[in-house]
Formats: sequence, structure tokens, C-alpha cells
Amino acid sequence: MKQSNLTVLQCQVVEEEVPMSLAELCRACGTERELVVQLVAHGVVEPQGAGPQAWVFAGASLRRTRVAVRLLHDLELNLPGAALAVDLLDEIARLQRMLQAGR
Amino acid sequence: MKFKDYYQTLGVPREASADDIKHAYRRLARKYHPDLNKEPEAEARFKELGEAYEVLKDPEKRAAYDDVGKRWQPGAEQPPPGWDSGYEFRGGDADAGGFGEHSDFFEALFGRRGAQARRRAPPRAQDHHAKVLIDLADAYRGAQRGIRLQVPTLDAHGQLVLSERTLDVAIPAGVREGQHLRLAGQGAPGFDGAPAGDLYLEIHFRPHPLYRVDGRDVYLDLPVAPWEAALGAEVDVPLPDGSVQMSIPAGSGQGRKLRLKGKGIPGKTPGDLYAVLQIAVPAPATDAQRQAWRELAKAQPFNPRSEMGAK
Repeated sequence: MKQSNLTVLQCQVVEEEVPMSLAELCRACGTERELVVQLVAHGVVEPQGAGPQAWVFAGASLRRTRVAVRLLHDLELNLPGAALAVDLLDEIARLQRMLQAGR
Repeated sequence: MKFKDYYQTLGVPREASADDIKHAYRRLARKYHPDLNKEPEAEARFKELGEAYEVLKDPEKRAAYDDVGKRWQPGAEQPPPGWDSGYEFRGGDADAGGFGEHSDFFEALFGRRGAQARRRAPPRAQDHHAKVLIDLADAYRGAQRGIRLQVPTLDAHGQLVLSERTLDVAIPAGVREGQHLRLAGQGAPGFDGAPAGDLYLEIHFRPHPLYRVDGRDVYLDLPVAPWEAALGAEVDVPLPDGSVQMSIPAGSGQGRKLRLKGKGIPGKTPGDLYAVLQIAVPAPATDAQRQAWRELAKAQPFNPRSEMGAK
């Protein structure tokens, strides 16, 4: 096994400070442009801006897109099914946090 | 190397039809998918299912696998001679964003996926993803963390090898559970002058015995003595990065939530810390202590069950 070391790296918090273009989101999720356009059409992610060229995705889109892409592929879901699953997973996470916080 | 029984993994008989295999996979994949099942074993189980399905759903691969299975000696650690030659497979639909990585058994039989994926020469190198566990205190103060990553790379002979990289990452204060850090240019190396991909680190907090986290807000169960709750008190509240004095108002009941504004996870809009009062009752151990409780009961008649209509 090879080893390599690097100096201290600075990073950005995607959800706070990195709005993404369509191309960046596709690359970050390892997926095709057509699929992300479909995910937008099904409301999985909601970019700002008119038309794919101008789209700007908020950082939280990264997680939702990645989950949707995985579910589509791994569970052979269709788009409406994956969109529903992503919404339900977010709702479950929200309820679990509430439960944990003891409210 | 152990023979992997893909039929057993999917819970189907050897003569199962393509439809049976598909149904078994879909049912089990829904059950063990790491996005749906947060149990620690789920991811490993899901990978096994994916590998079994990848082989059994493809008639060519299934035939090759069945052929090897017939010639494999029961209990043998060694494959039959010549078992890994003569099967050739097209670069297929493996690894379209899944959780990846095949077993040695699979790779010996069907070759390594990386070599296939490389044929399509992406115009820009891929972005990589990894998960990182940090402490809640790191999110308060920021931290420098050495992060070890195993990354598949191609060596000089075009062979796929795992190499280990250690990255020292400055984790910014204010980062929250589930957020992603982007490290520009730290993903897959670019070929032919193409820029390198980015690395994304998904942040998770190590579970803490005292604190629960909800977004920016942090919750703490704070034990108080009955007299502190009744009479009010100044108490020390431990924070993930220090401690602070808090006044407990007189007449506080069990479960009362006291907010320490801005003492949650820091940021442009810092979170709050909630101390949830837990009234702790000491067991009287001496006659004098028992007598003191009796005096209290006399001095303050109180039926905590009055609203239930019970005595």
C-alpha cells in the first residue's frame, strides 16, 4: 500500500457556501445531466434560475440528489418512486431528530 | 478464497427464474439499503446482495458462475484449475452510483470493475465521497483532523491498486451533522491534463453520552436536586467546549426546558442549547434525613396525582 501525506487542507461547507451549477452537481453525484433534469422535473431538487443553463442548486441538493441516484439504481425504482422515497426519508430523519431531542 | 453462494445470498433456489431473482433482490435490497436501514450491518449485507444480483441477473455471468460452482470442491479454499480463464465480459452497468466494491471472489471470476470503467475516459476526473466521524466539540471549536482514505488508483502497469492517502483537513467550526465539506482538487486525479476531481466529506457526529443534536440546536439532560428546582439555583452547565452558569427559576418542574441562547453549534445563526431539567431525588439514608422529608411533607401538602383524579 502506498502512502502519501499532504499539508493541511482548507475546505468549504457545501450546504452553507457552495451553490452548484447543473454540471457541478452532476459531477459531484457521478451522474448524467439528463437524470438531474428529470429529478428537477419530479421536484427532488429545486434549483433557482430559469432553465438548466442558469440553474443554481443550494448545497442541500447534493445529499438529496445522491440519495435519489442511489435508490434509482440500487432498488430499480422509477422517478416518482425515488422522489417519494427521498421526501419520506427526510421526514423520517426530521421525526427521529425530534424524538431524540425529547420534544 | 471462499466460494460465494449467490443463490443463498438472495434466498432463491438454483433453478430460480430471472423473475424470481429480480423479486428476491428487490425485496432484500429495500430491506438492507443503507439509505433506508441505518443498522451497521446493513451496508455490508447490501453489498453482498448487489454482487449476487449483478451475477445472477445476467444470463452470461450466471452461466459462468454456475459452471464454476459445479466444479468447486465442497469446503475447498482453492478454486478449480482454470476457473478464472475464458470468461469475458463487457463493461456493464455495474457501479452507476451504488455503494461499489466487489469481493475477491467476484473479481477473480469477472475481473475488476475499475478497468472497465476507465475505458470510457471521462472528460474530467471523478469526484470522490467519504464519510467522516467527528466529535461535537470539533463542531464548536473547529478542528484539524487526519483523514485516512483508501482510494483505488491505477499503477504503472494499469493495474488497479488500493493506495492509502492521509489528508489533514481543517474542519471549520459550525459544521453540522449531514453536511458536506468540499476539498477542491482532492478527488480522482485527472488524465491528459484534465483537472482533478473534488473530494466530498460527509460529516457525522460521534454519539455523545450527554448531548443530543438537532441541526444547530443541542439538548442536554440536566439533573437537579428537588430543592434546586423548588427554590431556584445557580448551577454549572457543561458545554461541549467549556461550561456556563445558568439560573434555574424557582418552581421549575420535571422536564422544563431552559434555553441558553446561542450556546448551540456556532455559525452565522448560532444554535441554542437546551437544558432539560431532570429532578433527581436522593434516597434518605439516616433517620435525620427521613425526618426532614417527613417535615417537608407536613409543611407542604402535595398530591402529584390530583389531576388524574387519584389519591
